[in-house]
Amino acid sequence: MVSWALHRLSGLALVAYLCLHIFVIHNLAYGPERFDRVMELLGSPAFKLMEIGLLGVILYHAFNGLRVIIIDFWGGTKIQKQLFWIMMVIAAALFVAGAAPIAGHLLNALAH
Amino acid sequence: MQKIRFRIKRFNPAKDRRPHFEDFTVEAEPETPVLDCLHEIKWHQDGTLAFRRSCGHAICGSCAMTINGQNRLACQTLVKNVGKNIIVEPLRSFPLEKDLIVNLDRFYERFYSIMPYFVNNSPPPDTERIQWPEDQELIDEAASCILCASCTSSCPSFWADDDYIGPSALLKAYRFIFDTRDQAQKERLALINTSKGPWKCHTIFNCNEACPKDIDITNAIARLKLKLNDL
Ligand code: SF4
Ligand code: FES
Repeated sequence: MVSWALHRLSGLALVAYLCLHIFVIHNLAYGPERFDRVMELLGSPAFKLMEIGLLGVILYHAFNGLRVIIIDFWGGTKIQKQLFWIMMVIAAALFVAGAAPIAGHLLNALAH
Repeated sequence: MQKIRFRIKRFNPAKDRRPHFEDFTVEAEPETPVLDCLHEIKWHQDGTLAFRRSCGHAICGSCAMTINGQNRLACQTLVKNVGKNIIVEPLRSFPLEKDLIVNLDRFYERFYSIMPYFVNNSPPPDTERIQWPEDQELIDEAASCILCASCTSSCPSFWADDDYIGPSALLKAYRFIFDTRDQAQKERLALINTSKGPWKCHTIFNCNEACPKDIDITNAIARLKLKLNDL
């Protein structure tokens, strides 16, 4: 049940992110200057940190979703817990791979 | 013998506005079933305690209740399975009648809604209707359901919407839809192919965890989804 509850919560977080994303992109309509200003804000350390969080949320939602799809189409109900942890190991590996460069940028920005 | 502390949710509709907990202490062996402890309380400490039970051997399904947070059969659960402090509550999401007794009308309505009986209009043979072992295997597990309601009561989709047919009744639908001797497959599939049917299952697995017969209910519901997809 915990995997499902987290799935719902991460889904909600992604909806919130999507709204924010559309809002950011809509600034394009007001010309390059305004868009550049918004992008600068998004380049700030706080947003970089949130980007790492976003990556985690996406990976959780994607890989737990994959587990549910596998179970629905091919089975695996008896090993659902093992499947969960296999998926989480893959997601964690991708998370580290993806978060490292962002964290690098973040540390760089903080150093200057 | 050891002292076991019981914390039991009580509700008397004639007196109480809402349920409350009451504590009891019972002497029991590790191998004593929780049901025997409840009997001990009812027979020797407080005769007003109300709960359902019949067979005492995990086959009638009457004694399902929430024991330390998990839906279980009181007669099948031993003291050593749940520890020395035992919290007993009625099954969630059904209307409370008294103490540990809930109203299961909704549960049976759902059960009857999927035609839970064998249909075959061809003239019966002299002996039984023969079935291959492989075919029987498909429904063996599903046919061992004792209708205790533990699964349906544990399902978040059912908590959110008690119009949901629910795991138990869907399992019963599976049991007949996948029975090669049955001839009402189409009717049953039509009955469950609604927004209140298998599509409401979000693969949460609470039913599997709750089932005292270890039936793979989530799998049965997933098979029903695939079957509906093939229509
Ligand atoms: S499937 Fe299991 S939990 Fe559900 S009613 Fe049947 S025996 Fe009880
Ligand atoms: S009393 Fe019959 S199942 Fe527990």
